[in-house]
Amino acid sequence: MPRPNKRSRTLRRIFRKTPSGTRLVYSKRKPSKAICSGCGDVLPGVMNERPYKMRTAAKSKKRPERPYGGNLCSKCMREKIRESIRNA
Amino acid sequence: MLEVGRVCVKVAGREAGRKCVIAEVVDHNFVIIDGQVKRRKCNIAHLEPLSQILKIKKGASREEILKELQTLGVKAVETKPKGKKEKPAKQRKAKEEKPKTEKKTISKKK
Repeated sequence: MPRPNKRSRTLRRIFRKTPSGTRLVYSKRKPSKAICSGCGDVLPGVMNERPYKMRTAAKSKKRPERPYGGNLCSKCMREKIRESIRNA
Repeated sequence: MLEVGRVCVKVAGREAGRKCVIAEVVDHNFVIIDGQVKRRKCNIAHLEPLSQILKIKKGASREEILKELQTLGVKAVETKPKGKKEKPAKQRKAKEEKPKTEKKTISKKK
């Protein structure tokens, strides 16, 4: 039986191979990848890490250098810009 | 449609949403653009043409294109990094010499 503070399902259980067999290791889970607010596809160029790493990481690692970067995928962004031109 | 002088908007990439002018036509897929964007070769699939055409000659320089764009009210985007500002040198307070106090010694009573 794992001790009480290790029973939480927010912890990942990993079996690591060691010379004497396997060893159980607990690690925290990473948050899920960001998705496009338009189509719902996974956004490339956006890292997904736990809070401390996200806070200390450079801004350029958290979004692409593009209008709507980190919010819309490139396909949705192009469509949005074309729409704004045609309607204006 | 996409001839020299046609004002377009760039639709893809880091310069998306910015206005540019076609300076030269390379072939049926590529053109050379300039304006609010860097002077470079661009795929016509990444451009959305507008209704305006400027009177510029083929291969016009950046200055001529920017001058013509001013008539439409389009200003160049500043891309140069800001120069380092000179910070005033830090003035440290001169350390004041504290008067030396005699250390009190407690003699042990035997």
